[in-house]
Amino acid sequence: MRWLGVKWRSSILFRVISTTFILSLILISLVGSILFIQISNGIFREKTNESVSEAQSLYDYAQGQLDATLYLQSLKLSVVVKRILQASDLTVATTPREVVLIGSPVLHAANGAFNGASGNVEIKSIPQTLRVAVRKTGLAQWIRGDITFTDGSRKSAIIVGHAVEIPPQSPYELYYVFLLTEQQTIVDFIGRLLLFAGFLLIFMIGGISWYVIRQAINPVRDAAEIAEQLTAGDLNRRMHVTGQDEMARLAISFNEMAVSMQQQISRLENLSRLQQRFVSDVSHELRTPLTTIRMASEVIAENKGKMDPAAARSAELLQSQIARFETLLTDLLEVSRFDASASILELKETDIKSLVIQTIDQLHIGNMGQIRTDFSEGSVIAMVDPRRIERVLRNLISNAIDHSEGSTIDITIRQTEREVAVGVRDYGIGFTERESERLFDRFWRADPSRSRLRGGTGLGLSIALDDAKLHQGALKAWGAPGKGANFVLTVPIAPGIPIQGEPIPVDPNDVPSTSFLNFDEDDI
Amino acid sequence: MTLIMVVDDDQDLAEMLGIVLTGSGFEVDLVNSGDQVMNIFDNHQPDLVLLDVMLPGLSGIEVCTLIREKSMVPIVMLTAKGDSYDVVKGLEAGADDYMVKPFNPSELVARIKVRLRRSGTESSTTLRICDITIDQVAHTIIRNGKTIPLTRLEFDLLVALAKEPGRVFTRDALLSEVWGYQQAADTRLVNVHVQRLRAKIEEDVDNPQVVLTVRGVGYKAGASQT
Repeated sequence: MRWLGVKWRSSILFRVISTTFILSLILISLVGSILFIQISNGIFREKTNESVSEAQSLYDYAQGQLDATLYLQSLKLSVVVKRILQASDLTVATTPREVVLIGSPVLHAANGAFNGASGNVEIKSIPQTLRVAVRKTGLAQWIRGDITFTDGSRKSAIIVGHAVEIPPQSPYELYYVFLLTEQQTIVDFIGRLLLFAGFLLIFMIGGISWYVIRQAINPVRDAAEIAEQLTAGDLNRRMHVTGQDEMARLAISFNEMAVSMQQQISRLENLSRLQQRFVSDVSHELRTPLTTIRMASEVIAENKGKMDPAAARSAELLQSQIARFETLLTDLLEVSRFDASASILELKETDIKSLVIQTIDQLHIGNMGQIRTDFSEGSVIAMVDPRRIERVLRNLISNAIDHSEGSTIDITIRQTEREVAVGVRDYGIGFTERESERLFDRFWRADPSRSRLRGGTGLGLSIALDDAKLHQGALKAWGAPGKGANFVLTVPIAPGIPIQGEPIPVDPNDVPSTSFLNFDEDDI
Repeated sequence: MTLIMVVDDDQDLAEMLGIVLTGSGFEVDLVNSGDQVMNIFDNHQPDLVLLDVMLPGLSGIEVCTLIREKSMVPIVMLTAKGDSYDVVKGLEAGADDYMVKPFNPSELVARIKVRLRRSGTESSTTLRICDITIDQVAHTIIRNGKTIPLTRLEFDLLVALAKEPGRVFTRDALLSEVWGYQQAADTRLVNVHVQRLRAKIEEDVDNPQVVLTVRGVGYKAGASQT
């Protein structure tokens, strides 16, 4: 049943065919029934007329014979009755028939000495209604009904009844039973014929509508199939155009749509390619002079000892600012790559735990006692791009240090079957709800004097968010002024597994009434 | 005196490289265009070539291929694009190592020194790997009486594997042993050079017998035959 429901909703063809089928079934059975009733009635009516007139003449003859016994001594009553009861007396009529003679009930006396029937007809099977009518009117009465035989079989028949008088003055009823066997056979045959024709018609109508609907639906199906292929990226697929009908118009406009789509896409692809080319060119053009400057500054720095203090300090500043410029350039190029969708994940099976430990080591944190870790047992393996995840972690941890005011920093790792999460929580200055809205904006700084302590470029969180999204993960932030901040990176354990839960809630329960940020795919 | 040929179209960078390298005790040849490289190369026979990938005229990769046709001299590429496929192209063309701009000058000098280091001199033993004899003194490898020319890097790679026949080397271990990287570096260096080495020494490159891949780990030397 469910299959039918699904099919009904999913296939026009199925819907139309089954509707046609049911409707034509109803219509054809209606017409067939009417036709059948009309034909069988006609056949039976003719037989009835024939039977009634034949019974009349038989009755006339029988009554005549009975009456004659009064005057002709040679004609014995018993013989006459016997002859009347002879069913197949074909001298008068040619139709096969049976005869039943029953005595009508009379007052104070038994009446039935001459009761009898031909051909094993059960006398009692003459319907009472007919008998009453015959006795009441005294005229010929007929009925169509079933006759029972002594062997128990029943047959449909026309029964014509007359009142007769057997001398002297015994009221009897004489019934002629005309079996309808032949008519029934014809009617049955016609019925079977109609049934067969009906079914044939239904199936033919079904077949024709299937054929016709298919003609109309096939182009639609083709269009759907080709649309699917277009969606899958095969932009060169087109519909086949034949003729000039509505379907051809559909195909033509469909193809026009596909062409315009393809043009749009290739235009965008070109733009993206140009953007990537630009990024790569800028990269080259900027990096070469930067290399020269850097080498020059190193050479100058090496000779610091020979310089006066002002020149020596200048050499130092030059060196550190070049380093900062380099970081900035790298970050800018990374951002451009994200914008051009040119970033590619280089996935590797990575132990997130050792990545976190390695990141902490590489940050050369002055006060290691500040860091408190809460890692789950064993290694935490995920398919990620270690370079990017390390960059995110480095960013979150160095941000936490910059804003912790010397407070403890909690680094937590949790994993579920689907995702791995790393939480970095500090209890420092935190941020307000208004600030939180701009947290991930490029070049935005909550407190410009602070971030520069560690040479941040102002692009760190923006890149971290892009990195998280590239992994189809999430980077969420929570903060409250004076109570610190919490950043949680959640990435799927392997690509293609969408993250569902939050192994680490971004909103720590210890601080009620908070600003809560949720950066998902759709934000920004 | 060790002669280093610096090929870069940016004259300032080339001059700066010259200052740094001269300061480190090298002699330097500066070339500004790809077209002149082969001419000067033939005349001066440098000990190492520092080659920018993007050059007017002949590209760095084309220059690399040309040098490799006639010399086993170490080649270090300078590239502005660390993650592009230029790196792999350059390595496949025969460069031994590459530096991404902007690089640290001391790092550059360290890389150059590793490439110029004469390995094998510390040991006079003859190594065997499969049916190949490695003569560490003469710096040659011989199979069936025939000498197979290898670059110094390829020779070092093969010696590193042959010295410890049972050991499986991870790519990182080889990067540290052969290239002298102390920190994690680009493992493509190893992959490309193993392929280049195999092309020279394996009888059937598709079914290597000398340098075996250990799936998921790294490489090891094939069993030696006496």
